[in-house]
Amino acid sequence: MENKTAEPGSEEILPPWLTALDHTADAGIGVTANSLAELLARAAWGMFSVIADVRAVQPRETQPVIVEAADTQALMVRWLSELNFRHITEHRLFCNFEVTHCTGNRLEAAVIGENIDPARHTVFTEIKAVTFHGLRVEQTDGGWKAEIIFDL
Amino acid sequence: MPDYHFEKVSDYLWELPQTGGMRVPARIYATQKMLEQIRNDNAPQQAANVAHLPGIVSASLAMPDIHWGYGFPIGGVAAFDCKEGVISPGGVGYDINCGVRLMASRLTREEVTPRLRELVNQLFRDVPTGVGAAGALTVPVDKLKQVATQGARWAVEHGFGTETDLEYIEENGCIEEADPSRVSAKAWQRGQEQLGTLGSGNHFLEVGYVAEIHDENAAKVLGLFPGQVTVIIHCGSRGFGYQVCEDYLSVMDRAAHKYQIALPDRQLACAPVQSEEGQSYLGAMRCAINYAFANRQVIAGRTRDAFSRALGIEEKDIRLRTVYEVAHNIAKFETHRVNDRLVKLCIHRKGATRAFAPGHREIPSAYQAIGQPVLIPGDMGRYSYVLTGTQKAMEETFGSTCHGAGRALSRVKAKKVASGRNIIRELEEKGIIVRGQSRRTVDEEISEAYKDVADVVDTCALAGISNKVAQLKPIGCIKG
Repeated sequence: MENKTAEPGSEEILPPWLTALDHTADAGIGVTANSLAELLARAAWGMFSVIADVRAVQPRETQPVIVEAADTQALMVRWLSELNFRHITEHRLFCNFEVTHCTGNRLEAAVIGENIDPARHTVFTEIKAVTFHGLRVEQTDGGWKAEIIFDL
Repeated sequence: MPDYHFEKVSDYLWELPQTGGMRVPARIYATQKMLEQIRNDNAPQQAANVAHLPGIVSASLAMPDIHWGYGFPIGGVAAFDCKEGVISPGGVGYDINCGVRLMASRLTREEVTPRLRELVNQLFRDVPTGVGAAGALTVPVDKLKQVATQGARWAVEHGFGTETDLEYIEENGCIEEADPSRVSAKAWQRGQEQLGTLGSGNHFLEVGYVAEIHDENAAKVLGLFPGQVTVIIHCGSRGFGYQVCEDYLSVMDRAAHKYQIALPDRQLACAPVQSEEGQSYLGAMRCAINYAFANRQVIAGRTRDAFSRALGIEEKDIRLRTVYEVAHNIAKFETHRVNDRLVKLCIHRKGATRAFAPGHREIPSAYQAIGQPVLIPGDMGRYSYVLTGTQKAMEETFGSTCHGAGRALSRVKAKKVASGRNIIRELEEKGIIVRGQSRRTVDEEISEAYKDVADVVDTCALAGISNKVAQLKPIGCIKG
């Protein structure tokens, strides 16, 4: 997509499994999925949709990611924090997230994206941190859901 | 809505009495009208939660711009005994030493207006906002350790600004006892390419002018006159500070268990000031404090260059000098009078500003008679304020006051309010030129998204914890 920013008045269209949470000072996302692996992958896409126009990112390079944590909630925070860290320190944006192996406290994934190109990518905001505030990562009758607040 | 039982102390001060596990009461500075708004937020409960922490002295305080924050409310001030008390990263915030610098020029609004667009464009080019923007300083880790211990002085020694700037910065732009060995590899990595950048969110660089003078004597001492062109720089310690906070939130989570500190909210995680964990956080946090001082100093130097280049006037004729710089997310040791005794306390100010009274030895000699300048930024469409500290602030709030407007609308709601409108054009019609990283950034930061900072400032003035000196209005703004 060449058009970097939405025109005035146009609403950004989110996938049906992603919602923007209303939080006065910061930003948050709500995500649903069929499995924990899919939930983690979708949460990562959701986070990058807060950071930039993720649909303008080309899947050019793949990086492996391995994250371990004490429990599922901490796993979600560590995973997103790691991707945010790579985005900032390596000047990258990611658009595809393939969680290839996942237990409640460890995940292996391949993340795909490209270097930031200011001519094609608009970075909307920085995320200072992925927080534990109001964090929900839970199994539901139909699958999994998560709510994550980012400190902006 | 939570059911709070506030007791009225005065027209501008309300108390949540000490109940349950609270060690002291919680006190909120607000008008009755503001209190109705504040009630809707969880922030009063957060102020009450802070009152549970060991070693807290006098009261858990909240300024009129109080709103929900991570663990501690934003707009909160808490003082802890150095022996019995705790230190908490949640009481400082992610953006360690986020702060505000005010600079004032010799130029008038009329002199700048004809080339305002060039000036804002030049500032947008020369002061990078953050990730994806070119132009930040790249500082290798060994040099970054010097930044972390020297603060603004490092920037001056590298050609950004002058020695005189340092006199007019809180702590003279460098806090002692910063310990680089307490900082993680990740924090150094995040900090390497962000020196001299504004960041995003509510951070900005604003060109404005002195619109109103409320205290002629103080304004004269500060060198402010009507119509004078000013600059406000609002930013902090960038990814370096965010990472320090993140690293130590988990350290403190474990420490709170280890020291058996009963917490009403896990996000208040803390450790005794004197513990290994407490000292470690203090050492790392001070590195971030100094990083932020250096960051604003670099930006100040680049702002001077941008003015000169865009306006075609030599720097000595613009004379963009530092009026003062304050921190509003910080914890540090200060001596205050409590029950007629001078005691050294660990003061946490999270979204609150130091506001020392006239005669305090930490105020620049030129400002001794009027008190410490306090800089309160508003939103990009309205106004900001210059205040000074008062004796009453020393007596009631450990020499502290408010820090800003505080958001009224979430980003989601702000975008809805901005939907269908061209905010950049609307502001231009009001004589304000705005450049942002994206339209979304500007939309999320519209005036309507913020409370009226005048209400906040007036409440502090009426409560006697600050003195109103001048109002500044924007004419140009760059946003991350």
